[in-house]
Amino acid sequence: MRRLLLLAALLGGGALAQTALPGVLTLRFLDVGQGDAVLITAPEGQSLLYDGGRSEKRMTELLTQYGVKSLAVVAASHGDADHITGLIPAVQRFKPKFFLNNGIAATTQTFGKLTASVKAAGTQGLLASDRVINLGSVKVTVLPPPPSMPRGDQNLNSVGLLVEYGTFRALMTGDSETAETQGWLKTYPASKLGPIDVYKSIHHGARNGDSSAWLKAVRPRNVVIGVGPNNYGHPTSEALALYKGVGAAIYRTDLNGTVTVTVQPGGKYTLNTEKGTGTTPQTRPGAATPVSPVPRAPTPIPTLPPSSVTYPNCAAVRAAGKAPLLIGQPGYSRKLDRDGDGRACE
Amino acid sequence: MSPEQRNEDPGISYVTVDGIEGKMARVELPDGTTEDWRLASLPKGVKEGDVVRLDVQGGDVNLKVDHEETDRRHALGQRTLDGLNVRTPDGDLEL
Repeated sequence: MRRLLLLAALLGGGALAQTALPGVLTLRFLDVGQGDAVLITAPEGQSLLYDGGRSEKRMTELLTQYGVKSLAVVAASHGDADHITGLIPAVQRFKPKFFLNNGIAATTQTFGKLTASVKAAGTQGLLASDRVINLGSVKVTVLPPPPSMPRGDQNLNSVGLLVEYGTFRALMTGDSETAETQGWLKTYPASKLGPIDVYKSIHHGARNGDSSAWLKAVRPRNVVIGVGPNNYGHPTSEALALYKGVGAAIYRTDLNGTVTVTVQPGGKYTLNTEKGTGTTPQTRPGAATPVSPVPRAPTPIPTLPPSSVTYPNCAAVRAAGKAPLLIGQPGYSRKLDRDGDGRACE
Repeated sequence: MSPEQRNEDPGISYVTVDGIEGKMARVELPDGTTEDWRLASLPKGVKEGDVVRLDVQGGDVNLKVDHEETDRRHALGQRTLDGLNVRTPDGDLEL
């Protein structure tokens, strides 16, 4: 029975507890919809949550689902709501020791709620700088934003993490854009940036994220895109083409659910998905992934038609004489449709 | 404008531009949730982080960037974050 449990845990089953297995590093690219969240648990049990997605409720569900018992560090790659909202319940529940951040405040209520939660939890702020966080036997190198980035731009001040365990290497760089990756290319030797076994796609596969010059250095073997239904066209065909062009296997949380990476001592690793499989990596010598994904073409995700009219609340809808608003009509939004029956502000 | 309309006017509220993604803007609504709005529906030149003031009167919606409120919120948020970071330890960390 013990052997079976160990096997199941190694396969990364969704309902299994996050209890650390001796010698095994686990990374979970969590299915948080349109957003990013990566849960990293060291063999010795310490966990780091890098971004939290856009929903407090969803993150609470995931922390329960994966049996998370504690968090040593929460990290905000940057201050955008689709990356930090889920950090709020994580901080409130686990009172982590450190809150890694880029040092630049956002103006949203969400950001205010997060910092208030960090303060209330007694969590120490950790301004991103060149340093290593040893998460047990796992080496996590912080990649701070290059100093030349404009402080008014959250994306360009994304905090990156390089995770190393044996020969295994994973890289996450938030929503950074070309100017920031160019800065990192100048800061770090190519041998530090690549090759990378598992790489989190920049900015959910946006057009302004990954570039051929950056990926030429990173040389990702597997790319995981944190993405859900969205109005932005993520992931873009350009980003997908870049990943295919470097011969990477592609995983998407909208199609594959949470993607779990289990790393053995020495660095041998497996990738498992909640559903479906990633795309087959293009042939490339040396790009050895211990899984054999079945070929699967990425399917386009549905995009919601942008509304030309918006109303802040039902009072505004009624004031405009438009109540009730039916789904598909200008100005309809799910927020205004409390019972979800397609008729808002009834 | 009828008295009923006057009573239903929500008056002034604020949304915050959390992110701009191409032709769309992700805005944080007064209740803290986010929603995607067309960038063209927001005041020209709006930037990420800007607080936008919505004034609904008699069915007309007037939007403008509230620079004072934007600066106030940024300063408040920055003070709080700086306070959290002030004792950032030096060097590598062992956890």
